[in-house]
Amino acid sequence: MFLVGLLVAVAAFIAAGCGGGGGGGAPEALPSSSCTAIEYEGDGNPDYIVASDFPLQGSSRTQTVQINDAIRFELKQRSFKAGKYKIGFQACDDATAQAGKWDSGKASQNANAYAANDKVIGVIGTFNSGAAAIEIPVLNQAPNGGIAMISPANTYVCLTQGGPGCDKTEPDKYYPSGTRNYARVVANDAYQGAAVAEFAQSKGIKKVYVLNDKEAYGLGVATNFRNAATSLGIEIAGFEAWDPKASSYEALFKKIQGTGADAVFLGGLIDENGAQVIKDKVAVLGPNDGKVKLFAPDGFTTQQTIDEAGPAAKGMFMSVAGVPIDKFAGPAKEFAQKFEADYLKGKPIDPYAIYGAQAAQVLFDAIANSDGSRGDVIKQMFATQVTDGLLGSFKFNANGDPQDASGAVVGFTIYVATDKLTTETTISPKPEVVTAAAGG
Amino acid sequence: MSSVAERMRAVAAERRRDLGIVAALIVLALLYPTVVGSLQSLPLVGDFVPSVDSMVNMVVFTTMAVGLNIVVGYAGLLDLGYVAFYAAGAYTAGWLASSQFSQLDAHLGDVGFSTGTPGIHVSMWLVLVIAGIFTTVVGIAIGLPTLRLRGDYLAIMTLGFGEIIPQFVRNGDSIGGFNLTNGTFGISPIDSLGFGGIGDAIGLPDSFRQSAERSQWFFWTAVAILLVTVFCSVRLRDSRLGRAWVAIREDETAAGAMGIPLMRTKTWAYALGAFFGGVAGAFYASFKAGAFPADFFFNISVFLLTMVILGGMGSVWGVILGGMVLGYLNVEGLATIGSKIQDAGVNFDPTKYQFGIYGVIIVLMMLFRPAGLIPERRHKIELIEGVHDTPFYDVQREGTLTDRDASDD
Amino acid sequence: MDKARTSPRRLSVPDTIGLAFVALLLVWLAINFVKGPQEFVNVALIGLTNGAIYGLVALGYTLVYGILQLINFAHGDVFALAGLVASSVIVSVLGLDTGSSIVVIVGGLLVTLVLIMSGFALFNASIERIAYRPLRNAPRLAPLITAIGMSFIVQNISLAFYGVDYQTVPNFISRSPVFEVGSVSYSWNKLTVLIIVVPLLVLLTWFVTSTRQGKAMRAVAQDTEASAMMGIDVNRTIGVTFMIAGALAGGAGIVYLLQFNMRYDTGFQLGLIAFTAAVLGGIGNLAGAVLGALTIGFIEAFNEGLTWNAPGSDWTRTIVFAILILILVFRPEGLLGERTPEGA
Repeated sequence: MFLVGLLVAVAAFIAAGCGGGGGGGAPEALPSSSCTAIEYEGDGNPDYIVASDFPLQGSSRTQTVQINDAIRFELKQRSFKAGKYKIGFQACDDATAQAGKWDSGKASQNANAYAANDKVIGVIGTFNSGAAAIEIPVLNQAPNGGIAMISPANTYVCLTQGGPGCDKTEPDKYYPSGTRNYARVVANDAYQGAAVAEFAQSKGIKKVYVLNDKEAYGLGVATNFRNAATSLGIEIAGFEAWDPKASSYEALFKKIQGTGADAVFLGGLIDENGAQVIKDKVAVLGPNDGKVKLFAPDGFTTQQTIDEAGPAAKGMFMSVAGVPIDKFAGPAKEFAQKFEADYLKGKPIDPYAIYGAQAAQVLFDAIANSDGSRGDVIKQMFATQVTDGLLGSFKFNANGDPQDASGAVVGFTIYVATDKLTTETTISPKPEVVTAAAGG
Repeated sequence: MSSVAERMRAVAAERRRDLGIVAALIVLALLYPTVVGSLQSLPLVGDFVPSVDSMVNMVVFTTMAVGLNIVVGYAGLLDLGYVAFYAAGAYTAGWLASSQFSQLDAHLGDVGFSTGTPGIHVSMWLVLVIAGIFTTVVGIAIGLPTLRLRGDYLAIMTLGFGEIIPQFVRNGDSIGGFNLTNGTFGISPIDSLGFGGIGDAIGLPDSFRQSAERSQWFFWTAVAILLVTVFCSVRLRDSRLGRAWVAIREDETAAGAMGIPLMRTKTWAYALGAFFGGVAGAFYASFKAGAFPADFFFNISVFLLTMVILGGMGSVWGVILGGMVLGYLNVEGLATIGSKIQDAGVNFDPTKYQFGIYGVIIVLMMLFRPAGLIPERRHKIELIEGVHDTPFYDVQREGTLTDRDASDD
Repeated sequence: MDKARTSPRRLSVPDTIGLAFVALLLVWLAINFVKGPQEFVNVALIGLTNGAIYGLVALGYTLVYGILQLINFAHGDVFALAGLVASSVIVSVLGLDTGSSIVVIVGGLLVTLVLIMSGFALFNASIERIAYRPLRNAPRLAPLITAIGMSFIVQNISLAFYGVDYQTVPNFISRSPVFEVGSVSYSWNKLTVLIIVVPLLVLLTWFVTSTRQGKAMRAVAQDTEASAMMGIDVNRTIGVTFMIAGALAGGAGIVYLLQFNMRYDTGFQLGLIAFTAAVLGGIGNLAGAVLGALTIGFIEAFNEGLTWNAPGSDWTRTIVFAILILILVFRPEGLLGERTPEGA
């Protein structure tokens, strides 16, 4: 009985195998568990797939949705073609609904899916540096020469360059095949750390307590800030992690109070229970515009911070790479106007949309210039020279970091929280402070 | 009731059936990567056919569930911290097959590298075995103090370990200044499985991850590990040790009185269950190319437990069924169903509530079909006819402690 | 007979290790106290407040365990759901904000307290009715496993209605100090916790020791069969116990919400901590649950707030669960040494 059933099953299997065969040449889509269906509006079927990889659930969503829309916008402008190649797009999610933020399991699952699909020619992402650290090595070892990856948002220094602040094996361990496949269009956290430290100095800060959430990004930027602050003569009262799963941080801030620090720096993400950290800071150390100031990097620079922390956020300083939205000029301004008209329907544009569009442009140009192989796309990406682009002018160094940059890439905006993000000032950090921030 | 000969015949028939199932599974597994594309292009059902990569995930979790079944199903020890064994296996792979200890430079049969990569790089095949052994040691270390306890106290204790280990791993980037686990970054990348240069020469992939047939090689390896696990699991069930487990499960006091060494027998269940968790964990780390502290949270333990409960505690084939079904829902099924629902215009995303769905499954199974989809014979009797060791009304007298109370009374 | 068991005869090896450990802990606390007495007191006050909240949740575990020998995993999630619902009641339904007058705020909070406590009393009793009662005669592990399932279900109900974002209420209660001695201070906000928790504890103790229903509960906890024979309605008594536990979870949810942000999974973590507290104090023992909770609250706060040789917030959960494991291995009967509410 059972064996008969088995035979039938096998026969059905083989029949299915023979029956399917000659499809229409549509590329196999990335799994629907993470990604949208292939978005393509050109003729016939796309030759290649470009995937984006961002957390599409949780507090980063406002930003990542706009990055994806910016990529769609760019692709539409090019009629879904990069040079002679027809390109389809899939937006993939590296977050889970339960966590409300990026998830290591999802990130590695996605990366393996890209690697397994030979039509995937390039990946735009990730948003979080921790996710990048997981995905880069998998894409680096992907069959046929690795997959090009370009990020509009990763700022962790050691993803691309080594140095005193990095582990000895960084960044080489991210590139086990020995060839680089990853570039980013943002300045790394050595710049951000330096910018915030310089700003803190200008506010008369003498002694700062540095907290971090222990994640790749949070710990990285906290370390960079600490180094930069030290080089500027600001005393470091302490350097410690907060536990995102704790319910209260009051005891922690009592300890900070005892050190006499006149500022606290939060290296991390708002997702990591950041609102409670801000509230407890205010409860113990007083309001942010009072005796003890509060500084945070771009992991906090979102309206969500103000919504969740409520009045406690008031007076907190937050930084983000780039010039303020209202000061865009040239191509960026042009892009912003068209993009707002096409996609935003009255909502304010997020600075990350510009970075997303810039990353997409670089990748699509690289594909256009390539011979259509994965390896060549990587080569072309590293040969990119952007002149008067959305983020100004820059090219990539051998590490995949922007260099010889002018314009928005190296600038930082400091916002202060009122009932929304209000521009406080813009800063381009001094080179020697940036070097110090990186650990040199 | 039945003559010896009859029972022998029944056992032989059961064995033939088991062999048949195994043979069928092997054939299906071998064919799957070649036919999956065509199956997916079938109308209607095609969207529900899992990709080969998803199959790897399903098979790995099923392997862990079969391992957990030894502890929970055979020996009746409720383990809510099985994820600790998964973690131990994954981190063993991280320590022995990555650049984690860059101060060293030890290579032994590693595959797919540019030469001169620092760190310890032992062949992943060997690492699978070492991970199993190491995890067994961890299992014994956790088991020895905890197994003195019975029932719910044991469950809580394993839960405690299940909570401590992820945090230990998270903070393990500076244990007295030594970077053991690389903190929240996790250990990444972990080396790929592969056949190395020799394999290359005969047309087998040097490194799975860099091969164009990457998914299918990982899949076949996963199936092979599952088959070994199932084989051992079935043999254990029918062994002297397996019968001792059942005796303990049914009535610990009586089993002890009959001369079964309680601690040793229970520790074996723990150790062997841990072994397979460790091997599966190490394999999965190689497949995913990393081990990260966020992977090892309590929900995974419950997810595995749900597989065992759905399939039927103690029933190997049931657990495989439960594992594959839930594994499928987890990696792909819920998302596919969700996209169908959303296509129909209803804004509901089942993946968001996956653990709630597992919760519903657990509760419904316990209420209406406690022995699982494919009940194991003895469990069926126990659960349906109400033969059990600690009936509710006796709890107060029996207490929750074993050795101490017994000796004091 | 049982008295003889608990009376100290001679110290066993584990007891010696345990005592040595406690002695070390006291030395560590003393040194920290000498180094910064005011900080020490401040941190202790934070521990006291958090411990009081844990205590309310721990009581729910201990009550149910006392009567049914069931670890009701879902309890923490019921607590979280109660807090989240309370946030809706306070913000959306009653529309309280910091601008409202004191009378309105106090009145509104009392109304919320009554609503939530009664609502979740019924909710918790329904869980018992639907999921646990049919398993009354099943093997011991069956209801435990079901409780885990219920925990996930309740957690996902929270997720469905409130998403992953943290919910919060405005700071109704002033953060200004009730008293301030040197740098030692205690805020009104924290005092509110004690103002709610202490009367609830007194009320609960009175209920269990002095009312007819409370006596029935203790009888059922002590010997279910005998109390059934004496004419006590066992099912009803168990139902009432779950109602009380649910009401306590509701109260705890509100108290927690007034202090901290909450989201759908807050209850799971906190539930485990509260459960540890209950085990530490001696599960089934009401006073023990509170004592255990305060101990855990102090340990957490000292670990995070003290400066001399404290492991720091990274290790808080590890320490809490290590305590759980050590207690289970070396002293499963807990600090107070009794395993049932009536002290059998």
